[in-house]
Amino acid sequence: MIEIRGLTVAFGAVVAIDALDAVLHAPVCGLIGPNGAGKTTLVNLLSGFVQAKAGEVRVDETALLGMNTARRARFGLRRSFQTEQVVEDLSVWDNVQSMLDHVPNRHRPADAQVHRALEHAGLLDCAAVPGAELDLFRRRMVEVAKALVGEPRLILFDEPGAGLDERESRVLRDAIAAIPDAFGAQVLLIDHDVDLIAAICTQTLVLDFGRRLALGDTRAVLDDPVVRRAYLGA
Amino acid sequence: MTPDSIRRERRAARLALLRMVFVVLALGALVPWLANAYWIKTLTSSLALAIAAAGVALLYGQLGLVSLCQYSLLGVGGWVALRVGHGLHWPFEACVVAGGLSAGVVGMLAGLPALRMKGLYLALVTLMLAGGFQVVISATGFPDGGAGFLGRISGSERLMLPRPALAQGEGAYFAYVAAWLAAMLALLELHRRTRAGRSWALIRRGEAVAEGAGVNVLLYQTWAFGLAGVCAGVAGALLSGAVGQLDGRAFAASESVMLFALSLIGGAYYWAGALVAGLLLRAVPSLLVDLGVNGYLAMVFFGAALLHALITAPRGLAGQWLAAFQRRAAKGRA
Repeated sequence: MIEIRGLTVAFGAVVAIDALDAVLHAPVCGLIGPNGAGKTTLVNLLSGFVQAKAGEVRVDETALLGMNTARRARFGLRRSFQTEQVVEDLSVWDNVQSMLDHVPNRHRPADAQVHRALEHAGLLDCAAVPGAELDLFRRRMVEVAKALVGEPRLILFDEPGAGLDERESRVLRDAIAAIPDAFGAQVLLIDHDVDLIAAICTQTLVLDFGRRLALGDTRAVLDDPVVRRAYLGA
Repeated sequence: MTPDSIRRERRAARLALLRMVFVVLALGALVPWLANAYWIKTLTSSLALAIAAAGVALLYGQLGLVSLCQYSLLGVGGWVALRVGHGLHWPFEACVVAGGLSAGVVGMLAGLPALRMKGLYLALVTLMLAGGFQVVISATGFPDGGAGFLGRISGSERLMLPRPALAQGEGAYFAYVAAWLAAMLALLELHRRTRAGRSWALIRRGEAVAEGAGVNVLLYQTWAFGLAGVCAGVAGALLSGAVGQLDGRAFAASESVMLFALSLIGGAYYWAGALVAGLLLRAVPSLLVDLGVNGYLAMVFFGAALLHALITAPRGLAGQWLAAFQRRAAKGRA
């Protein structure tokens, strides 16, 4: 569960997130908003790349803001970036193993964890293929697999489906939706694809100009006239 | 639980490692039978310098870092080996290890700017360090059997650092240096293929990516600089054993630039690239001299080779040869 209280992030005079309060408890939560709403800033703050000016963030009742990025990874926080970050000269297996090298690995042997993550992402058939030889879909799925190793608690996906076609998006959607049950981690998903959000997120937070525009059941949030006007242009 | 493809890949990696060690050791065993004393001496220096080039290649190939003080670290290793060899009469292997570790520590210190700088700025800072070393070593010289901290002898003949008992002759010492080269290349390959290599790969992809994966970027960058320093230090110690003493004039800052350039030409991503760099650095000038051509013309040759590498072989000569070999093998299979 993510608890955000009075969170403010500012870059000089620009306030990117303004006194945000939110409790995200659903297994798969959505985060949407127009460009510049502060979505990626919130993900950057949760993963430790941006400092808060004020406020508090707790994940599973643990204060997050005092930890550096590496410690957050060891705590169980995972994230993907808008631009996929597959290492070209490492195999798919080693790309996932590289994540496991620095995070807790108490309950399963390393090979078993990597195998399970690749199986979940449907990448076992290309485990030995170098990153440079993967198409965009498989690169995106490597990012998913990387997030699944080493006892993840909270996974932040920043537009994981960007550039994928409909069939690929469906596979990605199914893989993400199954994460909470299979791996016990909560997922926070940012995406502009409202269909994707509607299909797998049970709770959604909408940001606009760094402020909370709406928070609640995804269907209700997407039907909210204020949200439709600000974000969906209806 | 591990897929067959990964098991095959791991087996192939182990075989490649063994093949590399075998090739280098075979070189060490064969060359003394084929070459005269002049060429054995020259190629001994080439093999020692290949160890330093492997360190340069580690920094550039694994982390994209340009360090232009590696030849000075070679001098640090040589200085420490000569000092402990003459002053404490340690066995030669202990002198080499001491030289390597000392240069490793200095390399880590030299790498500290890398935590804030990249690219051109890091290159300039490390080049200035090399310039500083050139000034210091010109003033102090290398230890040659005297007393005191500097170990300089005055008014009598300079002492030679004794070689190991099993490698007194030129041929035996060549094989001895080849064994060190094989060991150092194996050490680097083991790093590259395991946790350190994967961490360096993440840092190379982006520091934010590495930090997001829990990598201690400071530790792994410093470790790479230390390891490259150990390579340079071991090379320096082996050079001091080859000649028996070292001359400060041979450690100009420009040598570090040359070592870096030739490591690129050789191929920073392959172990054979370090071997090519070592040969270019010592064997090509000697070959020109052997052919009655001024050895300084090697600079022109190196300039052309660097242009060639930049235009047609960004992964170096070793990369180009390996790709050609693989194409040929694929054609043969078809």
